[in-house]
Amino acid sequence: MAADVELERVSKLYGPFTAVDDVSLAIRKGSFISLLGPSGAGKSTILRMIGGFELPDYGTVRIAGRDVTMLAPYRRDVNTVFQNYALFPHMNAAENVAYGLRQDGVPAAERKKRVREALDMVEMLRFADRRPNQLSGGQQQRIALARALVKRPSVLLLDEPLGALDRKLRQQMQVELKLLQSQLGITFIFVTHDQEEALAMSDSIAVMRHGRVEQLGAPAELYDRPATAFVAGFIGTQNFLPGYRVDDSLLMRAEHDAMFEARRAARGLTRDAHVLGAVRPENVLLAGEEPAVRNRLKARIAATVMLGDTMEFVLALPGGRELLSRMPRRASGSLPEGAEVWAYWEPESFNLFPYEELEARQGKP
Amino acid sequence: MPRWVMAWPALAWWTFFFIIPLFWIILYSFGSRPTAVAAGPVALEVLSFDNYWQALSEIFFRVFQITMRTAGLGTILCALLGFPVAYAIAMHVPQRWRSIFVFLLIVPYWTSFLLRTFAWRIILAPQGTLSDILQSVGILGRPLLILDTNAAVQLGIIYNYLPVMVLPIYVALERIDTSLIKASMDLGAGPLRTFLQVTMPLAAPGLFGGLVLTFILAAGDYVVPTILGGTKGLMVGNLIATQILASQNLPLGSAMAVMLIGLLAGVLIVAGLLLMTAQRLLGLLRGAPL
Repeated sequence: MAADVELERVSKLYGPFTAVDDVSLAIRKGSFISLLGPSGAGKSTILRMIGGFELPDYGTVRIAGRDVTMLAPYRRDVNTVFQNYALFPHMNAAENVAYGLRQDGVPAAERKKRVREALDMVEMLRFADRRPNQLSGGQQQRIALARALVKRPSVLLLDEPLGALDRKLRQQMQVELKLLQSQLGITFIFVTHDQEEALAMSDSIAVMRHGRVEQLGAPAELYDRPATAFVAGFIGTQNFLPGYRVDDSLLMRAEHDAMFEARRAARGLTRDAHVLGAVRPENVLLAGEEPAVRNRLKARIAATVMLGDTMEFVLALPGGRELLSRMPRRASGSLPEGAEVWAYWEPESFNLFPYEELEARQGKP
Repeated sequence: MPRWVMAWPALAWWTFFFIIPLFWIILYSFGSRPTAVAAGPVALEVLSFDNYWQALSEIFFRVFQITMRTAGLGTILCALLGFPVAYAIAMHVPQRWRSIFVFLLIVPYWTSFLLRTFAWRIILAPQGTLSDILQSVGILGRPLLILDTNAAVQLGIIYNYLPVMVLPIYVALERIDTSLIKASMDLGAGPLRTFLQVTMPLAAPGLFGGLVLTFILAAGDYVVPTILGGTKGLMVGNLIATQILASQNLPLGSAMAVMLIGLLAGVLIVAGLLLMTAQRLLGLLRGAPL
């Protein structure tokens, strides 16, 4: 399918700080893509460059094949749902929605019809004559969405639009947004720092770090086959164990001469490299007796955490590191805090990555 | 402790220095000049409208007309000059420099109002700097002769009340969320349409406040016309001051003051009504959104 939005070697500098570093990205028409990353990763800057609010220092932005790099925002066939909604406080909900159509000179009769449809679509018709300050956060969010969609843009940009909503409402809006997107067939470009949100909604996710796209792929692909330790750690929860690769095998020598076996090594991993082995908590199993598998560690249950349908065990390893294990509550049985157990996992769920210093989620020595 | 307790100091101030004096002025305006000096400033035994009849003279209305014109024109020019300044500071000056610019606006106020106004006499004098410059450049063929005329008063009023106009507009503009401007552009409005449809309506309360404040202060001013207007540039404030201070006719001065208050209120009400009608018409012209 044709690429709807295309970034070609785009860079943006703020003084000595490189916000976006040589990013190329082709976004398929009608797809839902999330730009995911920690704050300062450059995701919002990319969105603003597509919207026309920021000019790239290098590179080209194309929408529907047309070069729009230097085009003003009001000349682009994109609309934005802003982070704080940015509803006009001096207009009621219907006037806010009508604003974009008015600029395009849409005749009154058609304008009214489309405003009504847009408000109906987000179930806000009965709040049409409310001012933004008379609406709740979730309601403002819906009006902002209607205001952007009423213009029927080919691309909708969403800049962390659910950030200010409480958890329940956010999950509800995630579903609604996803449904709306598949109904309308509009390309959605969604910026978020919330990996759960990105996983729940997107067709594809671009994980960003330091102004670069670290990995682009479908949610399951990123979850199961992360390209780097950063992606592995940013998406979902991950246990990292430092060590060294044995020759160019899939074996890893960890602390205390423990040997672990993986099924997959990140591309470009060199011989005897300093590595991080990663296993997700849901793949770490617990046993009372020593299991007959290679990937096993003796541990003590330091704490148990109730997560609703799952139980999380914080395991203390002999060297002082921590390891997380999660299992369905029904299967968790009676494992009291302080109990000595064996933690083990299959090679299939163990990945080797080049070593890097990760800020969070790494077992502390 | 009830909440209104905190309002007491302001309320007391307002009552003692505003409501009660106003009441006295109104009362005085119905009195007459005392025959004997010992009887106090105003004789209140017989109350009548005599002072108002006397004040309704041709000269009062002519001066009132000039006052309205000077204050009105001054207010409009202050708005035209002040809005771009406020806009530039609020929209184009980086946040950390803004307070410095606002500070620069206020700095002249550290010098006495009288001194600053007197300084204009030096600048505007026929042999003064401005006159010399205009002549040497060739704009004027003879010395500048605006001192002690209404033109000088007009200039002085604009000079003195410009910050009064700029500050409320600046505050209103500064409070506008810049994402609203972006949203407007995003929805297809160019810079001009965005300015007219988003920036202006949101700045309107500040602009309106600035207009009213400047107009009232300018219309009641009597220092500027006294210093720069000479005998030709008279304003109502001078007329009232003359009655009270020079002619010792407190009742007539009071009647004039009351009339000034009433007429000013009338002008403001009419202006407000016109503005509301214009807004209503504009709304009708645009049509309902649904």
